Amino acid sequence: MKKYGIVAGIILVTLALAGTYLVYAGEPTDQIKKTTDKIIEIVKSPALKALDKEPERRRLIRKAVDEVFDWEEMAKRTLGRHWRRRSESEKEEFIYLFGKLLERTYLDKVEGYSGEKVIYIGERVEGDYALVKVKILTKQDREIPVLYRMKKKAGKWMVYDVCIEGVSLVNNYRTQFNNILVRSSFKRLIEKLKAKVGES
Amino acid sequence: MVEVVGLRLRNGKTICLIVLFVIMALVIPLSSMAAQESGNFALLPEALDLAEVADHSETLVLAARVEMAGGTSGESDSEWGDESITPPEFEEEEMVTYADPLEPINRIFFAFNDKLYFWLLKPIAKGYSKVVPEPARVGVRNFFSNLLTPVRVVNCVLQGKFKGAGTEVLRLIINSTVGFLGFQDVAKQEGHLKIQQEDLGQSLGVYGLGPGIYINWPIFGPSSLRDTVGMIGDAFLDPINYAVTRTKYNIAVKGYDKVNKTSLTLGDYESLKKAALDPYVAVRDAYFQYRRNLIKK
Repeated sequence: MKKYGIVAGIILVTLALAGTYLVYAGEPTDQIKKTTDKIIEIVKSPALKALDKEPERRRLIRKAVDEVFDWEEMAKRTLGRHWRRRSESEKEEFIYLFGKLLERTYLDKVEGYSGEKVIYIGERVEGDYALVKVKILTKQDREIPVLYRMKKKAGKWMVYDVCIEGVSLVNNYRTQFNNILVRSSFKRLIEKLKAKVGES
Repeated sequence: MVEVVGLRLRNGKTICLIVLFVIMALVIPLSSMAAQESGNFALLPEALDLAEVADHSETLVLAARVEMAGGTSGESDSEWGDESITPPEFEEEEMVTYADPLEPINRIFFAFNDKLYFWLLKPIAKGYSKVVPEPARVGVRNFFSNLLTPVRVVNCVLQGKFKGAGTEVLRLIINSTVGFLGFQDVAKQEGHLKIQQEDLGQSLGVYGLGPGIYINWPIFGPSSLRDTVGMIGDAFLDPINYAVTRTKYNIAVKGYDKVNKTSLTLGDYESLKKAALDPYVAVRDAYFQYRRNLIKK
């Protein structure tokens, strides 16, 4: 009988492990998946493929991205302690420009989509914060690990950082912005951002 | 917890296999080079039981599950490591400053490498990619990567990642034979045996050595003091440096590897530059983040 107890124990432990494993496919992952699928659909859509459809295509992608990206939280974190000293209008302008900068970069990447596969690895949740791990399989047989950092905002999971191969986008921009801010001024940073997104 | 014991037992077995395979690993690259000449694939291991390989990967999956449930750490990419879920308050976000006393010189070399890329490397890689189809270029990349197995095996061992070392040896054996001298990554496709990205810079990092100052080498690109030492050390484990000893041929082979690699990543550097306000700072930060992440794994 004792033997059966051990066997039962093993089964229970296995189930428990499998359980924790399976439970981790919740809302944050769904959110990422929904947006990713939507974007892939837009990029693949034959109706939107034509060159003159580019503005329309870009608008649709930006819309899909806006639904899941928390630009304000991202912008805040790229400024860190420099955020609080800014006026409301400065903050607003900064969020706008930062969004534009990422949009350009992100859209270029997305537009180059050529059948890469996205694999959902798992997620972890802690209160209002979550991590979602994804892997992108490129055509060239490479795997690119991507980690989404998410925050629950008004009941919805929103992305506030993306780490690609361990490199956090927000941290990378914070280092760049801080470098400019300590050497010159916020005004200079805005100028540089404007020049970069072609609005100066 | 029996699973954990099971893992240990398998580990023991794996270690025995490793010892065996390390010996074979020394023999096989040479033999497969000879095999290339004669077209003789007698070394193709009939004895190689793919089921066992699959079994091995199952162990890794199981290990990953144990880890995900908060168990021990190991080398699996499902591992979460010490990744914190809740971030610091935005004001407390770290303002990272790196030791970069050589910045003026580094920036000169950065500009040099930039021109090197746009004026030389990129046009060559572009022309090359027009002539050689992508699958072939992926094959060449795999071939060079396979040659560097000794670097990864030794550094897995240096970091106590014996399972990783075993995986690398298995990969070498499978890919050098069934994978046609490493051109095909059969081990990954069929056996889910993934490359173990390890080098001496990381091993030193695991031992607690910090990166030291940032160095942007001409031609070689971003590095740190620690990783430069690592790069030199690893060069002693690079078979090409033993097989091709004439400097000009060695440079030719390495140059070809570089052109081939570049042909597969065209556009990456461009988009990084486009997204950055200060490309030099962006690359430096990305380098440190990337390396820190690799060491953590």
